[in-house]
Amino acid sequence: MRSLFITITAAALLVSGSLSAAEIPDRPEKLTFPPLTYEPPRPVDFRVPLKSGPVAYVVPDRTLPLVTISILIRCGNYLDPADKTGLAEFTGYLLARGGTTSRTAEELEERLAFLAANLVSSIGDDSGSVSLNLLSKDLPEGLKILREVLTEPRFQQNKLDLFRQQSIQGMKQRNDDSTAIEAREREFLAYGTNFWACRYTTEASVTAITAGDLHAFHHRWIHPGSFVVAVSGDFERTAMIAQLEDLFGNWPFPGEKPPAIPTNIVMAPPGIYIVNKDVNQGRVGVLLPGVLRSNPDFPAIEVMNDILGGGGFTSRIMNRVRSDEGLAYGAGSRFPGGVYYPRPFQAGFASKSRTVTYATQIVLEEMGRITATPVSDEELTTAKRSSIDTFPENFNTKAKVASLFARDEFTGRFAEDPNYWQQWRPKIEAVSVADVQRVAKEHLHPDRAVILMVGQRAEIEQGDPTHPVSLGKLSSGPVVPLPLRDPLTMAPLP
Amino acid sequence: MNSLRLVAGALLALVPASAQQIPVVEKHLPNGFKLLMVERHEEPRIAGGWVVKVGSANEQLGTTGIAHLFEHMMFKGTPTLGTRDAKRDLELIAEQERVRDLMRQEEASLRLAYRHGEISDLTSPGNLTPRYRELETEFRKLIDEQRALLVKNEFDRVYTTAGASGMNAFTSEDMTGYFINVPANKLELWCWMESERLLRPVFREFYAERDVVYEERRMRVESTPIGKFAEEFNAVFWDAHPYMWPVLGWPSDIPNISKKDADAFYALYYQPQNITIVLVGDFKPDDAEAMVQRYFGRIPAGTRPPPEVTTREPEQAAEKRMYAEAETNPQVDILWKTVAFQHRDSYPLDVLQLLLSGRTGRLYKGLVLGKEVATETYAQQDSRKWAGLFNIGGEAKDGKTPEDVEQGIYAELERLKNELVPAEELQKVKNQFAAFEYRKLSANFPIFMQILQNEGSGDWREVNEAGAKLAAVTAEDVQRVARRYFTPEARAVAIYTRKPGAAASEDPDLAGLSAEQRPVVRRIVESLAGEKDVARLKQALSQMEAQSANADPKRQQLQKIIQKKVAARIAELEKP
Repeated sequence: MRSLFITITAAALLVSGSLSAAEIPDRPEKLTFPPLTYEPPRPVDFRVPLKSGPVAYVVPDRTLPLVTISILIRCGNYLDPADKTGLAEFTGYLLARGGTTSRTAEELEERLAFLAANLVSSIGDDSGSVSLNLLSKDLPEGLKILREVLTEPRFQQNKLDLFRQQSIQGMKQRNDDSTAIEAREREFLAYGTNFWACRYTTEASVTAITAGDLHAFHHRWIHPGSFVVAVSGDFERTAMIAQLEDLFGNWPFPGEKPPAIPTNIVMAPPGIYIVNKDVNQGRVGVLLPGVLRSNPDFPAIEVMNDILGGGGFTSRIMNRVRSDEGLAYGAGSRFPGGVYYPRPFQAGFASKSRTVTYATQIVLEEMGRITATPVSDEELTTAKRSSIDTFPENFNTKAKVASLFARDEFTGRFAEDPNYWQQWRPKIEAVSVADVQRVAKEHLHPDRAVILMVGQRAEIEQGDPTHPVSLGKLSSGPVVPLPLRDPLTMAPLP
Repeated sequence: MNSLRLVAGALLALVPASAQQIPVVEKHLPNGFKLLMVERHEEPRIAGGWVVKVGSANEQLGTTGIAHLFEHMMFKGTPTLGTRDAKRDLELIAEQERVRDLMRQEEASLRLAYRHGEISDLTSPGNLTPRYRELETEFRKLIDEQRALLVKNEFDRVYTTAGASGMNAFTSEDMTGYFINVPANKLELWCWMESERLLRPVFREFYAERDVVYEERRMRVESTPIGKFAEEFNAVFWDAHPYMWPVLGWPSDIPNISKKDADAFYALYYQPQNITIVLVGDFKPDDAEAMVQRYFGRIPAGTRPPPEVTTREPEQAAEKRMYAEAETNPQVDILWKTVAFQHRDSYPLDVLQLLLSGRTGRLYKGLVLGKEVATETYAQQDSRKWAGLFNIGGEAKDGKTPEDVEQGIYAELERLKNELVPAEELQKVKNQFAAFEYRKLSANFPIFMQILQNEGSGDWREVNEAGAKLAAVTAEDVQRVARRYFTPEARAVAIYTRKPGAAASEDPDLAGLSAEQRPVVRRIVESLAGEKDVARLKQALSQMEAQSANADPKRQQLQKIIQKKVAARIAELEKP
């Protein structure tokens, strides 16, 4: 092998005429690299508690003549009234798109388009946001528009009607794509159909929403006391702070503090849950109860999951399901820590119907193996180095720095742990082989998994003759058929 | 005229043109590689990669999909990365090929049986010949032996352990691109890894990877609501040009690709003069150039230039139409033959795209807000390396048909042909292009990707030159290209309607009701689902039955259906 290498190098040398080629080693470990030190930016350097209420992170960046202002808002779908599911989403969508007292929606959109300014608003599960990106020369006009949008939105009736129509037509596609079906049913299994995040809009619920409801939601929840702000780009810091005070000062209505986000999740009992859908590739999700990201074991959990299925091509699930067996294009696992309530562990892949059970068995085996046997030092090193050495990517643009710190302020992480990012790398560095096995044992129980399959049920049950695995053997629980749901009412279909 | 336009452009432009240039340093290695570098010190990392000027358009029928399969194989390692025994590994690969050649001979007899109607499925295990199964067993043994020597995904592991991220690649009709982000101090590792895999790639696990590509195909095409129809529509659109086949290849071609084909493909297309290297990030260009020269300089220059694609799409003689029933909302998708990358008309067509797009664009205003025939619309000029196309489409609003949307689209195009675009509207679009000149500069990776893709399409300089060309487009240019390209003979139209029955979007009971009545019933059905008190339901039902005789005739049908729903819910609750 050694001599083969020398021959090739010598041949290459003749071709390229480069003498230095002879020094190129045969293995990358033999290369040496200059040291690289990196210190992350500190939130305190950018944090500005505004007199007008919000905390802002102000990060000047004079390289390009652009400014980005992002406002996070404490509200979300959890505030929807029971019979008007979709109210938060509608309010969020139409806030920046439904006009203001002084401008129709059409005038507002034309002006923004002429300025090539991007203004978007939305409200999701546990936060809302309004953000504006524009050329710095247009900042004064942009701020004026932003103030109008935030304080006196018009929620123009024809825009509400249009969005309602678009939403209802969007609902009609709910059973068309197996990916969408899997995502929906996975949430139902993970949190329970009664959990607020599992409430879906229906034709009736969005038909019930009126412009008056949007105004009321806005007046109740959208006010500076609920804002956290991220600003980055081409401005001078003190001038920007003054502009933000003007933007948020003298709010025309008081608003309310939102209630705590409900956390009453209920995971389905262990079992195989199967939705019959006529597509030639079955989608599989393997679920187990998860953790909060504030869990002291979270760094160890991240490293463990990286080795198991989170690390792409270096992870065990990808190696076995894809590289060894060619059973899937993508295969892996996620262990996201929840901010407000635990989010489940999930492993998943998509494979042709006949090999769904075989691939599922491999995933369960790997979940078992990482609890039963210590991981290798090499695997641990790869997972740790990968996390630690890619760390600077979290801060690679000024807009990212501002929005990351604002997000930490919003979720309370900054208040709990102001040095979170400074201490992040040492915490990952400290994770040991024993830690990995300990957290795997604590959280991964393949026998208790909730397994969701979406695909051709009969084909999946028939399996692959070369690798026969019976569906029932994959779980201690029962095999439960799940119905599709009427896309407009979400009632189970017969 | 020309100078007048330049003056007007300078007055209206948002920014001086010089500020928008990406400062690219271009170098050429003696063996043929082109090297493009952009120095940026915003973060201590480097986005690096290379583009090979080969895509599915360079393929031949019989081995379509080879460019993409090849992209997958480039991650399998080198003689020293990926195996514990390079010598035995290569022997095993050769033996696998020998068995596979024999299996391919058997496949020929299977295909004959298929053509004669003796079997209907070439892949079903029951149809395989005894000889084939024997060979398959032999092949599996070789795979198992090779697997025992493999260091799984070592190529990826070396990078990951070194703090690299985002390693990936893509294949399109025109190019194959490979890329990754590495820490600033690991540029030499990047040079080592990339030059090694170009100098002596080893195509291990070739046949398992083929199965992965089939799963990719199921995921992207076969299991999605309109994937297979879109693939078919593309094949309908192109008469002669190799753009007609999918980048993933025809399903029957993929198993026919042998390692021998892959080797020949590599020798022809993966030679230095067909590859451009791109680096963006935290380095000094002089140092980087020396290092790239040191590592990539080892790779021998090619012996003959790769052939260009010479098939030219013939002038289309008549409109083409495709009607598809799919699991999707009714919609229309229209393609027109237009022009290739850097064609002088591509700039007015790009302007035309923006005039039509977005919530202040003409399609949205005309079809969604105005005529109310659509819920959403889109438009795109796609200037590919060898030929181009323009795509417009939209989803029909409930109660309207895809043909209504289609006619609405033609009406907007007619207006562009008949009336000059007003100055303010044109300026709005140009302002958006001008702002994009800054937005495109946000971070290493997007800058890297723009250079890579423009170079793959024909010339990286386009990233810096397009802005001025777009700013120079006049209302007359837009009118001229609208008239020139948007003709019935140049188009293909796909009409999608919802496949009936599948995953019941509509309760059949509601068919006879008016548009106002249907939501009423749905709402009732929804609240019934939450009602568990059988006695209350029974009471409500008997009340309704008592009233039904007196109901307004227009409401009788509605009343009947509501009663049916209540009765069904009672039956459901009483089910043992």
